[in-house]
Amino acid sequence: MIGISTGSAFALVGIGMVLIHRTSGIVNFAQGSFAVLGGLFMVRLVDDLPSGVAGLVTVVIVAVVGALMGLIAVGIRGRTTALASLIITLGLALVVSSLELLEFGDRPHTYPAVSEHAWNVRGVVIQPQYALVIGVTIAASLLLALALRRTIVGHALVACADSSRAAELVGLNVRTLAMIAFAVSAGLAALGGLLVTPVVPVNYDSDVAIAVNAFAAAAFGGLGSIGFAFVGGLVLGISEQLVVGYVDPQYNLAIALVIMLVLIGWRSRHEVVT
Amino acid sequence: MRTAAKVVVTLAAGALAVYLPFTLGPGNLTLYTLMGLAAIVAIGLSLLMGFAGQISLGQGAFYALGAYVVGILATPADLFPKGRGLDPLLALVAAPLACALVAAVLGVPLLRLRGHYLAFATLALHLIALALIFTWESWTGGQIGLIGIPPLEVAGRTVTGEWHAAVVWGIAVVTLLIGLSLVASRAGRALRAIATSETAAAAAGINVAGYKLQLFVFSAALAGLAGGMYAYLLQYLSPDAFPLIVSITFVVMVAVGGMGSLYGAVLGAVAITWLQDRLQQLGTRQELLGFDLPVQAPQVFSIGVFGAILIGVMLFFPRGLLPGLQELARRARRGRLGTLAASR
Repeated sequence: MIGISTGSAFALVGIGMVLIHRTSGIVNFAQGSFAVLGGLFMVRLVDDLPSGVAGLVTVVIVAVVGALMGLIAVGIRGRTTALASLIITLGLALVVSSLELLEFGDRPHTYPAVSEHAWNVRGVVIQPQYALVIGVTIAASLLLALALRRTIVGHALVACADSSRAAELVGLNVRTLAMIAFAVSAGLAALGGLLVTPVVPVNYDSDVAIAVNAFAAAAFGGLGSIGFAFVGGLVLGISEQLVVGYVDPQYNLAIALVIMLVLIGWRSRHEVVT
Repeated sequence: MRTAAKVVVTLAAGALAVYLPFTLGPGNLTLYTLMGLAAIVAIGLSLLMGFAGQISLGQGAFYALGAYVVGILATPADLFPKGRGLDPLLALVAAPLACALVAAVLGVPLLRLRGHYLAFATLALHLIALALIFTWESWTGGQIGLIGIPPLEVAGRTVTGEWHAAVVWGIAVVTLLIGLSLVASRAGRALRAIATSETAAAAAGINVAGYKLQLFVFSAALAGLAGGMYAYLLQYLSPDAFPLIVSITFVVMVAVGGMGSLYGAVLGAVAITWLQDRLQQLGTRQELLGFDLPVQAPQVFSIGVFGAILIGVMLFFPRGLLPGLQELARRARRGRLGTLAASR
């Protein structure tokens, strides 16, 4: 269960990565920072507000931050190369994590889960927080898929993903669209971050590990498919937990990363073949 | 003729770089040594990035591996249980060899990946290396660290201080010369073809996978050698000496210096090392411009301000500082005509 829920969070962050990559061609290294920001803001807000409202406020705040970062990451038109974009998002991740350090200190943060009381479904113990993470992830991905298909902005994003030049020719503002994509994926990542924080405490420097895992989830679908990113996140979360359960837990981090490497390699080879 | 002049200038600058430590005060010596170490790694990475088109965010892992190989082989057993107490020079030779071996084994599956995939996969390599350093406590000392590394010793003479710096810069100069001759050779042309288009290069009969692997191994060996010299500089190793930002910084040095230019890589290494040192110094001050600095200031400065400067440089010089400055100079020379062309 913990595997599925952390996997769901990776999926949410990874879906955001796919969205940004498809609309702007940027692989956003700062995607992990959004999740961390989400977790940290939630910890700060949850004391004063009812948790639902706190979550909503957090997602909106991080989405605004995401839009601003999108503006910077897209850079100066026609001059920013792919490597420069990657390094700019790296720089953004560094700036955000140092601000987090300044504001929240260097200790891991967490807040109580929705309910300490576990459900017992025919002998299988289910923590409500895990169910919440999974449910919200599924709902959010479905909502996103629906929005992409049914709204004008969604169509514009898809058009931009297909060919940004053609999108520009029919009068779409690619820069604005990239900002929207950044805002939406920042919101999704924040959602993932704030939901797993009760299970896995969050620290100012958690962003790199989250970004790498989310990239693995996104890479599962060749950085292009939201559905595959979702599946990739789940596969990653579950297999990491299985390994921790059956193999020496001492090596769990190293093995989790190796699994991730295999996942990245497996999909990208597929992509080359097709 | 141009090449001959270039070689002469490079040799003269190199001789100056090797001589410089003997004129520096002890305060600047460590910084100067670190610049040299960074230059060695950056030259290797620049070959890999600028000429073979492969991004590696994992050079820090090889840097750490080289350092730990030296640490384990050179430290006497009475100071560190797993220490071998070998001749320090022998241990230093083993560091790049070990890195080359590891890179050769890992490179076969890794280099099938391209672009962003390779970047994240090599980043994971660094994370794995850190996890292993923590886990294999008996070999690496874990979080506590590996203590008691002797200074480098060549033919009975200990190499410390300014001599150590001179050796580091000597290695850097030799590396630069090897790199330059490699770029100008048949292999260099093949590599540039690969960087432009792998498919076209393969169609022209170039062994793409072979060249990429050789360069990956070479750059890993250079990182390992620099790491080994780093171990002799610190004489104490812990995971804290190899945070993830080390790997990121190496890529930044190459990108800031300018892709496809080995001189740029050296410039980037020197500039970025200097910048990080300055920021660290600023962060440790009690107050700055009348503001009291918080306790986290050193980290905030060396991470956050560094990141902000990085964003600025990449926004305005996406191709790196050296090419960017060259372009500015060209524009200034062309005067108004250049400004017109730029505004259009």
